[in-house]
This record gives sequence, structure tokens and C-alpha cells, in this order.
Amino acid sequence: MADFLSGYSIQYWLESCPQGYLEETEYGHKAGVSESDLILGDDLLREQAIKVTTQMVVGERCALAASSGLINAAPDEAAKRFLATQTLDEARHVEIFTQRLYDLGVGKNDLESTLREHANPNLVKFAEALLEKVEAKDFIPGVVGQNIILEGMAFSVFEMLYAGNQKLNPKFAQTLAGTIADERRHVGFGENYIGALIKEQPEKRPEIEKLQKEMSYYMLATFADQFRDNDARAELETMKKRAVEAGGEESQGTWQGANLAELDPEEMEALLASTVLGEFKTRLGRIGLEYQTPAQP
Amino acid sequence: MSAEIAKLPTEPARRKYELFDDTGFDEVPKKYRKFYRRWGGEGDPLAPNEVLCPVCKIVIRSNRELRPGDRVYCMACMARLRVAEGPDGALVGLVEY
Repeated sequence: MADFLSGYSIQYWLESCPQGYLEETEYGHKAGVSESDLILGDDLLREQAIKVTTQMVVGERCALAASSGLINAAPDEAAKRFLATQTLDEARHVEIFTQRLYDLGVGKNDLESTLREHANPNLVKFAEALLEKVEAKDFIPGVVGQNIILEGMAFSVFEMLYAGNQKLNPKFAQTLAGTIADERRHVGFGENYIGALIKEQPEKRPEIEKLQKEMSYYMLATFADQFRDNDARAELETMKKRAVEAGGEESQGTWQGANLAELDPEEMEALLASTVLGEFKTRLGRIGLEYQTPAQP
Repeated sequence: MSAEIAKLPTEPARRKYELFDDTGFDEVPKKYRKFYRRWGGEGDPLAPNEVLCPVCKIVIRSNRELRPGDRVYCMACMARLRVAEGPDGALVGLVEY
């Protein structure tokens, strides 16, 4: 079952991650690099950066609870060890994105209240749907929810944010690059492990497909809140204008063949949603699960 | 016996490639880094010794030309792939579970 993990070890993780792409970093970025002056000097951009980073901390706290909770439910030793390294990856993500909130001016005593104020309720429901499976020690749905749905979403969202920040905010882009590298291992584990396991337990398919549909809906609702809400929309338009003024048309990079500076909020939401859902469909299809189209929020 | 061998279909020799650890890819242990590189997206063509991992979107590089049926390993995400010919004739990696 865990044959694909035969080459994986804690030693491999050490050589790839702490001694690889994280070497000489602090909180995920090069030492001495700071948040962009453009963001720190503009209240609207700083507030928006706090809101976005809050969702990342919420998502990563969920991933930490899920990966650690799945260790004791894992059916073999190799999977337990992999999930132990993933648990440390997720704890690191919680720490680096929390540090970003501090770098953006959130006081340490205000952290929890800031998270409560800005956490998207649909993202919280997304996390609750997953953690319900983890708490029930329902391993296969738990891994699909965590390593394919949650990590698959994070993979695409982080790549889009990376493209948007590479020129405007190198510090945040560096933090994201290390996180994306971690996500590669996590989605790889999800696909490879479940791809083999689902063949042995096909009766699990309906439950997993129901979870995918539910989590996908809450994900789309989170995107809708971020891009469609009138206040958020106005803020996004203003932010984009200021970013272009500061760095030019090319400053926000390209992602999935689109110049992010040229997209309006609806187009950005549509591109993100279609990319993530397309990836879900492809990944689930590869491991023998039928993608369920979620309701549209 | 030698006449039978002479009748076997011969496969054209594969091109050899010298790989250098110069792509900046640092997501696997040092001695394996030369076998991988980051993919630049749709406008980044693959060489005959390269195939894209569909799971994590990293390019796997071989020191010889790849052909359908070859098996490769993506160390970045642990996927085992079989090389196949895609609809447009380009090589693609199919995951084997």
C-alpha cells in the first residue's frame, strides 16, 4: 500500500525542506527582507493584506489540526511518518502567516480577535466539514478532504498570490514559494495514497464524493465573499489601481495565461474557481473518484 | 540464431543528455536536483528528455531521450509515472498508483 513512500523518510524531508529550499530563511523568506512599503504605507492595502493573511492562517490551522489528527488513524507506519512531517509543515505555515500578520502591524494581543473579525464564515464551514471526518478517524475521506481538496485549493490560490506578489512584494512571494513546495508533497501523498487505497475500499466513494461537493461549495462561497461583496469589490479595484500606479501594468504578474492587472474582480474569481475546480476534477478522476459539481453560491 | 537476431526490429538510438545542477530547483536532496526543474507554464516547451509531472507540475529530466513506455519518478511529490504519447504527439506522464 505505502510502496510509493518507500523512498520517503524523515531524512529525505530534512534534506529537501529545512536543508533545501528553507535553508537560510527566517519565517519563510530571506533574512532582512521586509513587507513592501507600498502595503505598509497604505492603510487600505495593509488592511486588505491582513484580511487575506487571516484566511491563510485559518486554512493552515485547519490543515494542522487535520494532518496531526490523521496520524493515529493512518493504517500503516509509512503514512504515519509522512503525516508527521506534514504536521510540522502545516505548523510552520501557521507560524509564518501569523508572523506576517505581526509584520503588517497586528499586535500579539490582538491576534485572536483579528482572526475572529476577519475569518470568512464559509472558510470556517469548509474547515468544519473536513475536521468532522478527521475527528471521526475516517481516514480515507479525511485524506481526500485534507490532501486533495484543501491542499489542492491552497496550491492554486498560493500560486495566484505568488504571481501577483513576485514583483510588488518579494518577501511575501518568497514565503509563498516555500509553502507551494511543501504543498507539492502533500498533494502527491494524497493522490498516491488514496489512488491505491480507494481500489481496495470502493464502498467509500459516495461518502468522499459528498464531502468533495460540500467542501467545494464552501470554497466557492469563500471566493464569492472575497470578490463579489460590494465593499470588497471596491477595495480590490482601488488596490489594483494603486498597485499599477506603483509598479506598472506588468507589476501583478501573469497566472494561467492571464495578466492579473487586467482582470476585474469577477474575472479573477471565475479564473480562480475554474482553475481549482478543474484541478479537483482531474485529480479525483485520476484516483477513480467522480467529481461532483457543487451548487453555485 | 544470429539470423533471428538480425530480424528483430531495432529502435533508433536514444540521444544522451548531460544534466547540470543549474536550474535552481532545490526541493529535493542535492544529489537529485539535476533531474528536475520548475515548469514555466504553457509557454515553456519540454525537451525530448523531459516530461511534466501532472500531480505537482514539476518537470522531470532524464539523461537520455524519453520514449512512450518509460517509467520515471517524481521525487518532488513521490508520483510514479509512465511516459505516454499525448493527443498532440507530445510526451505526457501518466500516474501509476
